[in-house]
Amino acid sequence: MKLSIYRYDPETGDPPRMQAYDVQPEAGDKKLLDLLMRLRVQDDSLSFRRSCREGVCGSDAMNINGRNGLACLTALDGLKEPIVLRPLPGFPVIRDLIVDMTQFFAHYHSIQPWLINDQPLPERERLQSPTERERLDGLYECILCACCSAFCPSYWWNPDKFIGPSGLLQAYRFIADSRDTATAERLDFLDDVYRLYRCRTIMNCTEVCPKGLSPSHAIERIRLALLRRSS
Amino acid sequence: MDRPPPRLPVFLNLAAIRFPIGAIASIAHRVAGVLLFIALPIVALLLDASLRSEAGFAAVRDLLSSPFRVVTAALLSWALVHHVLAGVRHLLMDVGVGSELARARTSARLVLVAAPALALLLLVWGLT
Repeated sequence: MKLSIYRYDPETGDPPRMQAYDVQPEAGDKKLLDLLMRLRVQDDSLSFRRSCREGVCGSDAMNINGRNGLACLTALDGLKEPIVLRPLPGFPVIRDLIVDMTQFFAHYHSIQPWLINDQPLPERERLQSPTERERLDGLYECILCACCSAFCPSYWWNPDKFIGPSGLLQAYRFIADSRDTATAERLDFLDDVYRLYRCRTIMNCTEVCPKGLSPSHAIERIRLALLRRSS
Repeated sequence: MDRPPPRLPVFLNLAAIRFPIGAIASIAHRVAGVLLFIALPIVALLLDASLRSEAGFAAVRDLLSSPFRVVTAALLSWALVHHVLAGVRHLLMDVGVGSELARARTSARLVLVAAPALALLLLVWGLT
């Protein structure tokens, strides 16, 4: 199969270029990551992140034929050749397909992605009703691969100020949690022209989420929660 | 002393990105908005000139009968219709109507098809 891959080596300082490859998949190679691993035998200078190889760790996010996705979840069948691989758009490139995610994680930390509860600790765990637990479905599954934020035009233009779809989905995960008592503070933090309201409901995030989640829906819920609070 | 961090390249070549239909409807909304924003003062000035005097009216009429008229009118009609339709789509989605992915895709497609069609009707009606 033919591939065209974005190459950048910080040590030479040369501008990024596209390199053509031809690699034959072997029996059992089903996903793009399988092919990339085979390619690495050919060219061990090719750099990309991967770990779990089954869509749980979220490290092999990249731009595949113009759309963001996880190499390990992208089937080789049906991929148009040459398969064009580029790093996540809008993120600083460290090397080849590896991007610097510092800012992305800074936004994640800013929304305080942990349970805040100022009530005394119960003797056993804090219980939730099945309905309360169901509210977290579609939110807790996020693996922070950054496919969504790196496909969001609003995030491309304001990566320093807009939290981005991933961070906002995570923020709503805690707003929606019945055990969290900091909802008001969380909403106060998000009620900002840049942090939340840079979202223009383009829905690129939901289009590319490899876990099938809908950050745009989470953002809509945050906006409605803010509206309900102010009225 | 720490060395200054090297300037890292960023891949953001929009031509190499395969945009979903919603993104195309959205960027077209922006383009339409910019066109209307630029056109509005010009149209207002033309209207003002045409109302000022008979000579002014004749001058504006001559200007508007140039061959560029059809192209400009077509472009502005599309901009107006697209901006209104896409804007209403966004308003509805803001309150949760049609914000589910499949519906959002359908409505984006609908806006992109309906805007040129309605603009054409508007144009035919306006020029006859």
